[in-house]
Amino acid sequence: MPLSPKNNLQQQVERLLPTVVKPGRYVGGELNQTVKPWDSVQTHVALVFPDIYDLGQSNLGLAILYDILNQRNDVAAERAFAPWIDMEAALRAAGIPLFSLENKRPLGDFDIVGVSLPYETIYTNFLNILDLSGIPLYSVDRTVEHPLVIAGGQAVYNPEPVAPFVDAFAIGEGENVILEIVDAHQAWTGSNGSRQDLLVALASIPGVYVPALVTVGYHPDGTIQSVVPGHPAVKLPVDKRLLAEFPPPLSRFLVPNIEVVQERVSLEIMRGCTRGCRFCHAGMVNRPIRERSVPEILVALEAGLDQTGYEEISLLSLSSSDHSQIIPLIEGLQTLLTERQVNISLPSLRIESFSDELMDVLQKLSPGGGFTLAPEAGTERLRNIINKPISDAELMATVRSVFQHGWTSLKLYFMIGHPQETLADVEAIAELCKAILQEGRRLVGGRARVHAGISTFIPKPHTPFQWAAFDHPDLIDTKIITLKDALRGSKIKMTWNDPQGSQLEAWMARGDRRLAQVIHQAWHNGARFDAWGDQFKIEPWQEAFSTCGLDPDFYGSRSRGLDEILPWDHINAGVRKTFLLEDYRWSLEGKVRPDCREHCYACGILSSFNELRLAAPGGGWKCP
Amino acid sequence: MEVPVMTQHNEVNRIRIHYAKGDSLRFIGHLDLQRLWERTLRRSALPLRYTQGYHPRARLNLASALPLGFISDEELLDFWMDLPYPIEQIEARLKAAVPPGLTIQSVRNIDLGEDALQVQMKASEYEVTFYDRQAPEVLSRKVDQLLSQDEIQHTRRKKTYDLRPLILELEAITHSSGECGLLMRLLAEPGATGRPDDVLDELGYPNTDYLVRRTRLILAESFGVSSVESQSPGLRS
Repeated sequence: MPLSPKNNLQQQVERLLPTVVKPGRYVGGELNQTVKPWDSVQTHVALVFPDIYDLGQSNLGLAILYDILNQRNDVAAERAFAPWIDMEAALRAAGIPLFSLENKRPLGDFDIVGVSLPYETIYTNFLNILDLSGIPLYSVDRTVEHPLVIAGGQAVYNPEPVAPFVDAFAIGEGENVILEIVDAHQAWTGSNGSRQDLLVALASIPGVYVPALVTVGYHPDGTIQSVVPGHPAVKLPVDKRLLAEFPPPLSRFLVPNIEVVQERVSLEIMRGCTRGCRFCHAGMVNRPIRERSVPEILVALEAGLDQTGYEEISLLSLSSSDHSQIIPLIEGLQTLLTERQVNISLPSLRIESFSDELMDVLQKLSPGGGFTLAPEAGTERLRNIINKPISDAELMATVRSVFQHGWTSLKLYFMIGHPQETLADVEAIAELCKAILQEGRRLVGGRARVHAGISTFIPKPHTPFQWAAFDHPDLIDTKIITLKDALRGSKIKMTWNDPQGSQLEAWMARGDRRLAQVIHQAWHNGARFDAWGDQFKIEPWQEAFSTCGLDPDFYGSRSRGLDEILPWDHINAGVRKTFLLEDYRWSLEGKVRPDCREHCYACGILSSFNELRLAAPGGGWKCP
Repeated sequence: MEVPVMTQHNEVNRIRIHYAKGDSLRFIGHLDLQRLWERTLRRSALPLRYTQGYHPRARLNLASALPLGFISDEELLDFWMDLPYPIEQIEARLKAAVPPGLTIQSVRNIDLGEDALQVQMKASEYEVTFYDRQAPEVLSRKVDQLLSQDEIQHTRRKKTYDLRPLILELEAITHSSGECGLLMRLLAEPGATGRPDDVLDELGYPNTDYLVRRTRLILAESFGVSSVESQSPGLRS
């Protein structure tokens, strides 16, 4: 069999690969990959996930953009991921730039480099990728010779900490805006314009935020004084992009050749959530709720299985059991699953939306295995404060039902560090777990297992808790020790997040533009893969704050003033600040806000996007 | 979808695929290759035989693990089906379902009672190409030196074993391109499988210097493939 012709970079890389772990991460060539001859298209887009292939390849958002872009004859989208530590060293030692998996081209050869930023602990990897590609880290240092660097994803609802590194942010849902960005780039390419001309053209696209054209001023105490457009083309706030209707689901998934984290046909059955948990970033920024119909879901899953040969399907949403047709959907799936010998995963089931009927069909669908519930807090009082109002009685009834239906292993998710949390609330988590285990033993005997997964609350932008303080790490440590002591000898398994990693996330989540120098310095100090427990170190970050003369507590354990200009106020995620503030005040009174599907509380989505909704009357938009 | 031609019912069928593993799958290891094949078989929508349990797997069996970084002209895989199916249709479906890098050479029915492929394995043949031009006389000298030893104590992952009896044949050759390389035939019996990279290591070549292509799998005689001995007049050991 003749070998395909290889470019020079490919030949060099080929000789490095036997020296690194999992070289299959760096070769591409998977089923359903799209490779276009390099010179056959006008615009080359590199889609980058700044973590390793094994994680990034499963990202549904990037898979969707890859598909949308490659459907255009004039565009080629190729993929790139962060090299693991060993490969980074090998690339640097050999002087080889980071390259795309399809045509094995350095990222610097692309017209547009689009980076996914789904969480904050990925920022140093993002810088590392720019550096490995020979692309200047700062937008201001790039010329017409360099790619346009754009970013999107859930973390960019507060774009400020990475603003100086990004030429343009796509805020909100990317399916349409990515094509508009390509159009603007093509028009600019034909115009012989300056880089500034390109930035201005991009700033005119709804949902695109160009930080270089916005100036931020600060008070002496470090809080923000002003956020001012630096060009007439810039309109603030920047409204997020939103699709009135769900586009047809993706079914042509790329099938990795090596093992990756989620190998399955993934399908969003619903976008958005109406529950209004006050800590939940995804629940606030992804409003309104839109559903896919059961027939559309079933047809797409079948096509996905045909195209991939996967053994598993996964239905994605923020709250699967809230889908209005969940029981017909699961019943429809049963036939498909039996015929095809595939498994299903159905995450995010809400405690209070369980009916016996749902339990029955779930048990048939996925017998054995474990069941997961997320009470999030140990007491009714605190669950009201965070607006996840489940009574102890309701919770115990669901738990009983789970055990009675034959499941023996139950995982419970809790958060510590909620606003107004006391040590008594923390101890109550242990008491609750013990009561649940006791109930399990009564119903299924010694096989009953309870696992408590403990994470730390991180105040997020665009949520009612965006003003709240992040617990000081010492206090988090005390709470974890309290829990461990209380659970000792109980046979309940407990896992928890590293408080220092949570602290980094807390700094970044609500950071301002000045944090960019801290990120740069931390990267310079060696920070990489901060989302990886075995790689993350706090010291490079502490040193970076110190070098930059900034106080980490200003970003972490400080309550924000209610009248403060917040660093992300000029980004409109659809839910108004006045609504968030009202909700925050309600939380201080322990007042609950019910699910808004029955009654509209005017969060701002409808007033921001009413025209869009009227233009798509048939959509599954579920606002009342 | 075509309707399967059912000549017998509830009969399990065993099918053998002879395939090549190409350059784009060079860095895909054995376990990953197994999953790649399972998904290929699933995409073919043939009536596969599955294992029981919560996570049913298609039943399949690869003859011999190909080390990471190697390519191959000749690999063998058996899989099982619950229903008989015309062999040409099986081949057509498999060809439509394979991912880039796998090339199906032939597909045939196999007797159900035949031993597992791994058990039938006797030896493998490999061809080595060097990235950098090697002097033929240097290479030949290294080969002769190695073969002249009665035993070759080789350490791989902290385990030391005698590599010499696993080398059935080893010679320096000149490829059609004019570059010189190596041919080797190594024992590949259960528990006694020679690795070309170990031989190359003994010759002084690190794994960044060469590309190995497996050219042939040699199975036990009783199944229509000639045995190592009768095929190998040039054996040096």
